[in-house]
Amino acid sequence: MNRKILFAAAILAAATATAAAAQVRLPVIFPLGRDGAQPAPPSGIPGAPMSTGAMQADLVVKAGSDTVYFPPDGSGLNPNSIATLTAQARWLIANPFAYVRLEGHGGPLDSRDYALAIGDKRASAVRDFLVMQGVAPQRISVMSWGKERPGSVRVGPTVVAAGARVVTVVVQ
Amino acid sequence: MIPTALLKRLLLLLLPLLGLGTAPALAQERSPTASVIAVPPFAITKNVDTDAGNTWSIANQIADLISADLNTTSSFIVANVKDIRIPSYPEVTAPSYPTWRAARVKLLLSGFVSARNDGRLTIGCYLYDVQSGREVARQGFAVTPGEWRRAAHRCADAAYVEATGNSPRFDSRIAYVAESGSPDSPVKRLAVMDFDGASHSYVTEGDATVMSPSWSPTGNRVAYSSFRDGRLHVRIVDLATRQDRPLLPVNEPSFGPAFSPDGRAIALSMSAEGNTDIFTVDSSGGYPRRLTTSQAIDTSPSYSPDGNRIAFVSDRSGSPQIYVMDFDGSNQRRISFAPGAYGSPTWSPDGERIAFTRTEGPTSRIGTIAAGGSGERIVTSGPRDEEPEWSPDGSKIVFQQYDAATRRTLLATVPADGGEVRAIPTPQGGSDPAWAGRKE
Repeated sequence: MNRKILFAAAILAAATATAAAAQVRLPVIFPLGRDGAQPAPPSGIPGAPMSTGAMQADLVVKAGSDTVYFPPDGSGLNPNSIATLTAQARWLIANPFAYVRLEGHGGPLDSRDYALAIGDKRASAVRDFLVMQGVAPQRISVMSWGKERPGSVRVGPTVVAAGARVVTVVVQ
Repeated sequence: MIPTALLKRLLLLLLPLLGLGTAPALAQERSPTASVIAVPPFAITKNVDTDAGNTWSIANQIADLISADLNTTSSFIVANVKDIRIPSYPEVTAPSYPTWRAARVKLLLSGFVSARNDGRLTIGCYLYDVQSGREVARQGFAVTPGEWRRAAHRCADAAYVEATGNSPRFDSRIAYVAESGSPDSPVKRLAVMDFDGASHSYVTEGDATVMSPSWSPTGNRVAYSSFRDGRLHVRIVDLATRQDRPLLPVNEPSFGPAFSPDGRAIALSMSAEGNTDIFTVDSSGGYPRRLTTSQAIDTSPSYSPDGNRIAFVSDRSGSPQIYVMDFDGSNQRRISFAPGAYGSPTWSPDGERIAFTRTEGPTSRIGTIAAGGSGERIVTSGPRDEEPEWSPDGSKIVFQQYDAATRRTLLATVPADGGEVRAIPTPQGGSDPAWAGRKE
């Protein structure tokens, strides 16, 4: 696997700026380790309990992604994030027993503390949106990783640091 | 590039140090007022075996460590004493001045090591002005054999303080976060060591990511941020007992602690409903008191040395900038105005300046600014220098830098006014350094 890590900030920022200006969609970004290796959504008896791993996979399939991205210096939702989160909210309403943890991340260029603070702010913005869409607040917990789990994503052939994002993690 | 002649001189200076466990350091440009000092091997009364080796080898290592310490400053030229007879035990307190005058040294730092009946060592050191034939300082210690380094650092401090009039600098420790594992999911452990990288020990196990250590003013406790139990919170550890507990009785995420100079309070960041503000709490625990109330991010508090003010970061203007407020949260005012993002402000020991990280585009550098907001200076060249802290005497700034070759974050120092960046040796990668003097 090509492990050449580049700074995502510039690329993502450029992509986000383009998206905001021209309303074009971002390049499809697959979280590493999930692309191609996704277990198929279980097709068993409806309502059968699924493992959290299977539910996470189901969320990714149904909502398009478990991750929304942010500009390096902001915590506002862009049209792409809103589309993804609207679908995540639909999935949460369709799966009333699922609980999620929203994991916010700062960027590699933020200071240690500021990354923790802005990761929390981003995760809270996502929570507020999901609650506005009708998801019960007690089903959602929020945390920030700051820049402690930089992560990486594949954009076409290159792997870049994922940076500013919020990941919806099914916990139950 | 370093000229060959200088390199040869450096090698000569370094040769006696190599292979003895001391960190080789490049000698700085000597100032014209540098004092030539002789540090002959310490005398022993009798060669006795200890847990830390025999007293003869300790006596030699003490002299080497003192020389290494003094060589890190521009105030001394450590004389080559290889060809001079090692002072005997009686000569430590009655030096043969003509010998040292002939060697053209200005100062003589001589001492002894002697094993005590209780298993400890007595280490004495004496500083003489060779020209006038006077003793100018002395220090004596009763230490466990494993603590000889502290005694040596304090002997070096005695000479440094006497010759320069500055505050002591060698008996100091650095707390930092040791990093290993993959960059995506690093193992981060709290660690402490002497300022030169010696006496290294880990404080946490690495099962939880930790960040941002802050020393208590007496140097016996460290507050830090931790993800232990899957929850971001400030913890406080007693280094002697290793007793380690959460600081706050609340569930809101807390991080980035900073001790007040009197050790009674800790300022920290706490998030609630997506908004991070600065709080203070009694360092023995209890409920935090809120200092900032803006809807923007307020974080990274650092106390002024008199405890009356707190520097912090806020993005209330639209980008992260440095602000200063009184210790109770009043009088908040912005002091940085340049483009880019500021982070991690930290107040100098003399209270005059505030060091920070400034990020412009993909580049982060360390800088300082007067506490009133004038005279901003950038002192490192990047590309990713972060998390500055001052040395206890204010002469240097320690920070983390990214080494592209190894893809690791490493610790380094730079003179507070800028200059040569030097690495601090650590067993693994290192980040978030904090530097403290030691007090009895």
